[in-house]
Amino acid sequence: MQLKKLRPIGEALTAVTAVLVGSSPAGGAGLNQSETSLLIYSESNRVRATEAMFSLEKRMQSGDLLGLRFTYDGLTGASPTGESPSKRAQTVTRPSGGSRTVVPAGEIPTDDGFADTRFALDASLSRTVSFGTDISGGIHLSREHDYKSVGLSGSITKGLDSTMTSLGISVSINRDAIKPIDGVPTEFASTTAEVEEDEYGRRITNGGRNKNVVDAAISLTRVLSPRVLARIGYSLDYAAGYLTDPYKVISVVQPADGEDPGEPVEALFEKRPDRRIGNAVSCEIRTYTLGLFTESEYRFFWDDWGVTSHTAYLAIKLDMHEIGAIRPHLRWYHQNRADFSRPFLLQGEPLPEYVSADSRLAKFDAITSGVSYMVPTSPQTKLSLTLEWYSQRGDRSPPEAFGPLLAFSLFPDLDAVMLRAGIIHDF
Amino acid sequence: MRRSNVITCFVLALTLLALLAGCASSNSQICVRDPLERPEMRFDDTAHRDLFDDHVYFSKEATSGGQGVGGGGCGCN
Repeated sequence: MQLKKLRPIGEALTAVTAVLVGSSPAGGAGLNQSETSLLIYSESNRVRATEAMFSLEKRMQSGDLLGLRFTYDGLTGASPTGESPSKRAQTVTRPSGGSRTVVPAGEIPTDDGFADTRFALDASLSRTVSFGTDISGGIHLSREHDYKSVGLSGSITKGLDSTMTSLGISVSINRDAIKPIDGVPTEFASTTAEVEEDEYGRRITNGGRNKNVVDAAISLTRVLSPRVLARIGYSLDYAAGYLTDPYKVISVVQPADGEDPGEPVEALFEKRPDRRIGNAVSCEIRTYTLGLFTESEYRFFWDDWGVTSHTAYLAIKLDMHEIGAIRPHLRWYHQNRADFSRPFLLQGEPLPEYVSADSRLAKFDAITSGVSYMVPTSPQTKLSLTLEWYSQRGDRSPPEAFGPLLAFSLFPDLDAVMLRAGIIHDF
Repeated sequence: MRRSNVITCFVLALTLLALLAGCASSNSQICVRDPLERPEMRFDDTAHRDLFDDHVYFSKEATSGGQGVGGGGCGCN
C-alpha cells in the first residue's frame, strides 16, 4: 500500500542517512542552532544546584559544523559522609575541611560544608567526508575549586549503503586532576588524626592526585520501518589513578560483644581500587505510531568492582501542533553494590584492602518521573519546560546491620526535584 | 508486593509494550520516511537534556559512563 507520494530514491536515502548519522540534510532548515538551558536541582535538606548551559552549532562555509558549549554549575548543601548514625548526638569531623559539627541522634551524618562552582568549555568540529560518513573531533575543559579536567574526543559515523544501517564509533580521553580542599587524606586515616600544620595553623595539604579516563563506544543504528528506528550499543570505560572520594569516610563501630554495640568510635577515610573497567550494553528504540512518539531504552552495566545496574527508560510524546507537545517520561534504575561497599567497619577487625561506605556504591533503586512541555514561540524558536522528581531508596538494614543499628536507616534516602527550562533557536 | 516491585513491573511492562508497538509496525520500505525526518526520531536531538541527566546521574549513581562524561567533574556530592 502506498501511504503517500513517493519521493526519488536518492532524496529518501539522503534523508535516511542524515537521520542515521545525525546530520542535517544539505539545504535543510536550521543550518545553525543555539540552545540555552537552565537546570535547578534541589534535594530535600541536602544539595542544591543550579546549572546553566549555552551551546551554538554553526555551519561553516566549508560545510563543517562547529559546535561550542559553555557550562556553569554551582552547588551548595549537605552530602552524606558515609558515617553511621548513633543513638546519641555525635560530634563528627567534616571530611571536606576538618571542622566539627554535631549530628542529632539517629541521623546519618552529612557534610554541610560543600560549596563549589564549575565552568566547562566544549568545542567540536564535524565534517562530512563522503556520502553517509561523518567524522568529528572535540576538546573539553572544565574547572572547579578542587577539580580540573582536560579531554579530547573523536567519533566516526558511517552509513552502510542502502541497508539503512549506520555504524558509530567514538572515543574520549580525559585527564582529571583533583586537589581536595584540605589535601589528599591518607587512606584509612582517622578524621580526627593529627595533621601537619604550617606556622599559621593551616593544614599542610598533601598535594593532589590525577586520574585518566578513557571512554569508547560503538553503536549500530538501523531503520526498522518508516516509523521505527533502533540503536544497539556497547561502551567500555577505563579509569586509572586516584578513584577514591576524598570526602567520604566510613565509621568504625563497636562489635556485638562490645560495651556499647553498634556505636561509632571513629571514622576512617575510605579507599577504593586505583583502576576500574566498566562495560555497558544498551538498546534504544524510537517509534512514531498514531501521532505518538515513543522513546524506550534499556541499559545493562557491569564492572570489575562488582557493580551491576539495570536502567529502563520510557518516554511518550504527544504532539498537539500549535499548542505544543507534552512528553511524560519515566526512568527506573537498579544498582547492586560494589564488592568493597560496606556500611561500617567493626572495631578490632583487620582493615580490608579496599572499603567505601559511599551510598552511591551501595545497592539501591531509583525512580525518575517527569513531564516536559515544548511549544514553538516562533517558526525558529522552541521553548521547553521540564519538571522531574528523582528518588533513591536503598537497603535501610543491610546484611551487616546488628543490634541497635537495626533501629536506624543506614541508607540515606534521597528525594530531589529538578526544573529545567530551555530555548532552541534555529537561524 | 513491595511498592518498588510494583513500580518496577509497571516500568518494564510499559517498556515492553512500547518495544512491541514498534516491532509490530516493522515493515522496511525505502520510499516514505516522513516520520524519520522529525527531530524526535533522531538520537542526537536532546543534547542539553542528555547532558543534564548525565551530570545528575553521574553524581548520584555509580554506573554512568559511555556518554563522554569522564571529565564531567568531581561528582563528589
